[in-house]
Amino acid sequence: MMLKKTLLLMLVACTTFAVFANGEGERQPKPESEWKIALVPKDSTNAWFVRMEVGVKEFAADSGLNAFQKGPAKTDAAMQVQVIQDLIAQDVDALCVVPVDPAALEPVLGEAMDKGIVVVTHEASFQENTMYDIEAFNNADYGAFIMDNLAKAMGGEGEYTTMVGHVTNASHNEWADGGVARAAEAYPNITLLDSEPRVESEDNMERAYEKAKELFKKYPNLKGVLGTSSKDAPGVSRAIEEMGLKDKVFVAGTGLVSECRPFLESGTLQYITLWDPKDAGYAMCSLAAKILRGEEVADGLDLGLPGYENMQFAPGSDKVLIGSGWIVMDKNNMDEYNF
Amino acid sequence: MNTTLQKMSRRTEPYILGAIIALSLLIQARSGQFFTGNNLVDLARSMTVPGLFAVGAMIVIVSGGIDVSFPAIASLSMYITTKILLAADYSGPVILAYIIGGVLGLLMGLFNGVLIGYFRFPTLVVTLGTSSLFIGIMQGVLAARELPVPPAMFDHGTAKLFSAYNTQLGLSSDMPVQILLLVAVLAVTAFLLRSTMLGRGIYAIGGDEVSAKRAGFNVFGTKMFIYGYVGVIAGIAGIARACMMRNAHPTNLQGIEMIIIAAVVLGGTRVTGGVGTLTGTMFGMALMTIMSNSLILLGIPTYWQKVFTGAIIIIGTGVSARQAMAKRAKPRKASPSPSKAPQSQEASK
Repeated sequence: MMLKKTLLLMLVACTTFAVFANGEGERQPKPESEWKIALVPKDSTNAWFVRMEVGVKEFAADSGLNAFQKGPAKTDAAMQVQVIQDLIAQDVDALCVVPVDPAALEPVLGEAMDKGIVVVTHEASFQENTMYDIEAFNNADYGAFIMDNLAKAMGGEGEYTTMVGHVTNASHNEWADGGVARAAEAYPNITLLDSEPRVESEDNMERAYEKAKELFKKYPNLKGVLGTSSKDAPGVSRAIEEMGLKDKVFVAGTGLVSECRPFLESGTLQYITLWDPKDAGYAMCSLAAKILRGEEVADGLDLGLPGYENMQFAPGSDKVLIGSGWIVMDKNNMDEYNF
Repeated sequence: MNTTLQKMSRRTEPYILGAIIALSLLIQARSGQFFTGNNLVDLARSMTVPGLFAVGAMIVIVSGGIDVSFPAIASLSMYITTKILLAADYSGPVILAYIIGGVLGLLMGLFNGVLIGYFRFPTLVVTLGTSSLFIGIMQGVLAARELPVPPAMFDHGTAKLFSAYNTQLGLSSDMPVQILLLVAVLAVTAFLLRSTMLGRGIYAIGGDEVSAKRAGFNVFGTKMFIYGYVGVIAGIAGIARACMMRNAHPTNLQGIEMIIIAAVVLGGTRVTGGVGTLTGTMFGMALMTIMSNSLILLGIPTYWQKVFTGAIIIIGTGVSARQAMAKRAKPRKASPSPSKAPQSQEASK
């Protein structure tokens, strides 16, 4: 009984102290050189986020601010909460977070915001406790971008079809729909294969390869495949190469240089599209600095790098900012990317 | 003559061969592209790795067990091998990859064997458990990510026996050298099952374990052999797969076990054990391969392909099951030997 009371008293004392110490969310104004901007990725060992850190460092060099990346050693929501708590205790001024599980982060991000810390998220468009969430692009626009690249490879004419991981995968199908809409509006000589407008690669390179071979046998006039899953473009490329259809049939789609390098080198595959985590890392830090400086965040916001120079709010949202941060990789620039 | 016909009509192989021919003719009619050299080569290629798995799955089912861990064994063996060879900057012949993969597969298979043979745990539970264990090692301990394969495996993956050309459409297809691996494994396994006491033991255990023991078969030893052998097959199949894909992907074999087991059952192997042939298994695998690689040729829309596949599996296994039931109703006529073990179709040949 006694022990319980003592504990309770200590708890009350601590809380009171904490409230006074933090001055009810009022922060002391600090000079810019003392600002600390921390980016918390899902997983600090993953190649994707190693690449993101390059963007954080680039931002630090460009702006002269103290921006750094610190993340959990593996993709684990509980470990990510721990990292964020540590950073709050270290008195950071801004937190840029790529949540493992947005719901699991709500309490800790709420706590950070209560303490006056600037919170910016990425790939978490439904996060409640964030000031702004940055999305690299809108799905339909990205699909249109893939179509533009496919059209370029196809020489602006011919019949094409779309490939998705599964017909139930939301983003793949939104990209594919965006591509189809783009072709209908901008490329009158490019037509969708009516009898087989969408095939599944099951997110599996081997299946993408097998399905492509079937398509080319059944539809000799087929000239293009619009891929969405990162397995589509390399799988279809292997089929094109093996069947001797190079320069006759083309594929464009999401892809990783690590998987597509031989095909980009041989010219079977001309373009792969993706978004660059380096850019997202830079953009998040840039936005955090703007908020710290008290600058206004509105449509047309320029975060200072290509793809993020004209950010728009998502329709009906005052939190989700959308860029056009896709990139295209080809034979000439693929060595700049390590994923 | 009459009895041969009667015997034939009780076997599953003729029915499944009939189904393959019917499906082939249907695809040919719908696309005009089935009986072309390049399409047949494509199918042989697609069947190579699943065919290897099917041999292993059939042996286990014949022995009265069920193994769902072979994709995990294949993935882990393949992944570790690729990692070792990449780390060592290996540039010698590809045989070393098969040796490492085979040995790793053997060890994992023997682990299954100990749990099943010595502790006598149910095979499905054991292999489900070891399956997640092996995948877990890959993802947790090794933090597996996709790897490019080392040069030896890459060259082996692009090597071809010959190319088939389709002059009409200007297409070509390469017959992969890995098909020889399937032929070799089939030959060794056929010899084992038909001509050795060990092979007879596998059928005997599957027919009735107690009788097999009383008849003098070493049940524990046979089980260790079965799971070790199947582990080796899975290990080398994993290597073949990585070479053919030119990429070591840690998880993309997951889920293939259901298709393989369905193909084995479709081929007349009895799930309760004791009955099954390699011929039937290869027919079953061929039917599954043709089906999953011809849905576009058939012109079935993507949204309906799963329904079609499911229907074929249900009808096919249904026919096999009915065959088995008919046989059990008249055991004396079906099997010349009065004892239940070893009672196999191989034996009645």
